[in-house]
Amino acid sequence: MRMLTATILAMAATTASMAADPFHAVSEKVNQKLVKLFGAGGFRGVSNYGTGIVISPDGHILTSASQMLDSAEIVVHLYDGRKLKATVLVTEPELDAAILKLRVEGKKIDEPTGLELEHFSFAEELKRPRAQPGDWVLGFSNSFEIAMRDEAMTVQRGVVAAYTKMHGRRGIFDFPYTGDVYIVDAITNNPGAGGGALTDRKGNLLGVIGKEIRNTQSETWMNYAIPIGAEVDVKDGDKTVKIGLAKFVELGMQGKYKPVKRPDIVIGIGGYHGIVFVPNVLDRTPPYVDDVFPNSPAAKAGLKVDDLVSFIDGEPIYSINGFRDFMKRTKPGSKIRLEVRRGDNLQSIDIELGEYPAKPMAPKKP
Amino acid sequence: MRDSLRVWLAGFVPTALTIVVVAWPTNATAVDADVLKAENERIAVVNKVKPAVVAVCSYGGQAVGSGVVIDAEGYALTNYHVTESISPVMQAGLADGILYDAVLVGQDKVGDVALIKLLPKKAGTPFPFVPLGDSDKVRVSDWSLAMGNPFGLANDFNPTVTYGLISGVNRYQPPEGGGMLEYTDCIQIDTSINPGNSGGPLFNMKAELIGINGRGSFDKRGRVNSGVGYAISINQIKNFLGHFYSGIDTDHATLGATIETENEDGALNQMKFGTILEEADVFRRGIKPGDKIISFAGRPLTSTNQYKNILGIFPSEWRMPLSYRRDNTRKNVLVRLMGLKDAPVDAAAQPKPPQPERPDPAKERAKKSPAMKLFKEKKGFANYYFNDLRQKQLWEGFTKHGDFTGFPGNWAISGSFDANERRGPLTLIAGEAADGNPEAKLTMNVEFVYHPLDGANGPAQLQVPDNSGGLLAALYQYRRLLAMGPTSKAFELGVSHGGTEPIYPPHLDGRPVEDWSKQRVDCEVLRTKHASIECKWFFSQTDRKLLACEAYVLREEDPCELFFSDYKTVDGRQLPHRVDVRFGDKNYGRLNFASFNMKK
Repeated sequence: MRMLTATILAMAATTASMAADPFHAVSEKVNQKLVKLFGAGGFRGVSNYGTGIVISPDGHILTSASQMLDSAEIVVHLYDGRKLKATVLVTEPELDAAILKLRVEGKKIDEPTGLELEHFSFAEELKRPRAQPGDWVLGFSNSFEIAMRDEAMTVQRGVVAAYTKMHGRRGIFDFPYTGDVYIVDAITNNPGAGGGALTDRKGNLLGVIGKEIRNTQSETWMNYAIPIGAEVDVKDGDKTVKIGLAKFVELGMQGKYKPVKRPDIVIGIGGYHGIVFVPNVLDRTPPYVDDVFPNSPAAKAGLKVDDLVSFIDGEPIYSINGFRDFMKRTKPGSKIRLEVRRGDNLQSIDIELGEYPAKPMAPKKP
Repeated sequence: MRDSLRVWLAGFVPTALTIVVVAWPTNATAVDADVLKAENERIAVVNKVKPAVVAVCSYGGQAVGSGVVIDAEGYALTNYHVTESISPVMQAGLADGILYDAVLVGQDKVGDVALIKLLPKKAGTPFPFVPLGDSDKVRVSDWSLAMGNPFGLANDFNPTVTYGLISGVNRYQPPEGGGMLEYTDCIQIDTSINPGNSGGPLFNMKAELIGINGRGSFDKRGRVNSGVGYAISINQIKNFLGHFYSGIDTDHATLGATIETENEDGALNQMKFGTILEEADVFRRGIKPGDKIISFAGRPLTSTNQYKNILGIFPSEWRMPLSYRRDNTRKNVLVRLMGLKDAPVDAAAQPKPPQPERPDPAKERAKKSPAMKLFKEKKGFANYYFNDLRQKQLWEGFTKHGDFTGFPGNWAISGSFDANERRGPLTLIAGEAADGNPEAKLTMNVEFVYHPLDGANGPAQLQVPDNSGGLLAALYQYRRLLAMGPTSKAFELGVSHGGTEPIYPPHLDGRPVEDWSKQRVDCEVLRTKHASIECKWFFSQTDRKLLACEAYVLREEDPCELFFSDYKTVDGRQLPHRVDVRFGDKNYGRLNFASFNMKK
């Protein structure tokens, strides 16, 4: 273990003096560029507070696209204790990001506020290479609403464990973001931490700390941040477009960003597939196919008895319940792609969902 | 527990693997010398403090928490919530692998701190201990080391070490259950602390104790490290430490007034007084609702959290400077903090009828502990044995300047006085009247008489001379204390060691005090009660010379304050030749003692 520690240090620390008097100045500097946010929520485990990153001297704030923002007014505490209000300019759930602007009395929302705040220049931060696994990072956030007014943000130190996509993430409703993330070994993602800053040892912005997401595979909580260079492919109508955090910030601050039009997802009965699963006896009964209705969409697509449904549209499915939850968001005519395990192989099966067949009339009494 | 542990490991293994894979190509011998130096320094710090880290166990050896030894006699700090269930006797394991018997000394239920004492295996053997640091110097992002016995892992009491950052300072965490375990002005850490770390030390990288780990924010993740832990700052503990050593079950305080935010929706906060209780000291100091608070105990006040932070670090009855503004005038006053225990109890909360005590086999077993010899139960005290001990030590120190127990007869003192433009000769006779009842007479142009046992004319007649608040009562007890000592014979209604408390002597030349914080002298306190009048005696912490006295004729009123100075040797004994008297916000006057006639 001693060796290991030494090696980590060798990679990360350049001088011993950094270790002796490490991050105080950096923390103070970063803290000035962060704000505490207070909005909607405060019940059923949904926190009504969060963190934001100041990205313009005029008072633009970047944060996570959380329920907390579903409020007519967001209250903002600046690092020096000033209390202001902010308006949500634009949100992009596909990037899990939102941009707010501080309001100053007597000024319209599109007018300069004259605040001249300490801020992260997003364009400048983007010029640096991204952090690598093993790099030291600092997490800054108002987790647990510990700080109010001029009290400083919580600072944590960790190491980038991976730069990767999050597998086993929650469903599309909880977390629509599909791009790369920084996974951190420190416990950064606590209540209210979403929208906080992940920085390198010198306080340069690396990413936006994410929400509280539990890994569906291991039920452990994820500690991740969305990198400032995040890009995702999203469906915009029929075509696939690439959107990124950089463009979102650039256009969002000018009021020119058009959020991707997401298909209206209605939770309902869903489309008809015609699969009969094994008896659903456990919370997490694996979705084994027990039978397929003749002439149903599943039958036409070639699904067979004993197939194990493993993915729908690339999203892992672990249980019959999970399958049914997914299906609620589909409708007749939707096309889904299943990955099923048949024997030792994974097989792709495309199904076009249909209308549920009319229920047979109840037998008449003789 | 098992589940959480598994989750924990699951979170760590991939990280460790990632690092190993990346680190592999690096040749270990090529490590930068500075890095090795930093590592060696860190190891040196750990090795230096490790011997003083305590694994707190119940009597019988079950691990319940952690602690740290702070002096060679084996006094150790831990959390109240650790000792709560196992007091008064317990066991404590040190890194040397030896399990010592230990006893509760003092405690702070609100602040979640307890002081215990380890018993050496051989009398007089010194314990390894750590020095106390200055937690006001701790900065956000400093490195820190937490040590202790998480999950009761160490059967040989060799402490677990975790290393991390100070995530925040001056944090406020509200009480957890029944007004207890309130963490004020505490230190927030990302240094991993887990169940069993409670009561253990937090060190800076200079091997100084800066806090006692005790709490975390957990929310949905179960009671294991969530990256947000809290340590009670050592500077708060220092304020209570004198009380702990005296075996006191300490009390926290209130100002007896509500504090409001003037402009909640405004850009910047301004704190002001709301409702003020009539029995509160701030009321007596003339503070009115709406007065704006500038600073309290030397710290600026801009939020409710800060107010609670400042209030939470002091024991009740301490006096602290407060600056406030009314209209455009700034005023500096001293305010005495009110105890929480004395606060009016909700009438609806009926006291529970006493439950028949069920014999607890563990408690029965614990009675066999050799540490039971160091335990004495008494109301208001965690362990009166140590109060007794401190009284004896204090008195021994005081009598080195002069022992007056050979003079139980009447004392006659003569000199002069200077009080509010009145001046003249002074004579004092204190002792017993011809009928054997206690009596004191003070002549300053007119004669004042004090009969402590004669309450017929109400307490006002005990406050003589007028506007002194009870000078004669104080002088009467002065002679009683010196002549008879702090004994239950002299003070049937009670005598105890009162821990430590600051006094603020006024300027000797009579000019008004601008900055009270500069006058502060921390003293060792002895409390006496005779004939319904309580006195607090303040002794120098360095040489145990008597510096001041407060006499409370009426608990809800200001005491009469006496400041003793100009000590000269009379017949080989030190006696004060000057006494400055204060009552409320005013200097009452000055007494000059010229000659003493003490009867045997």
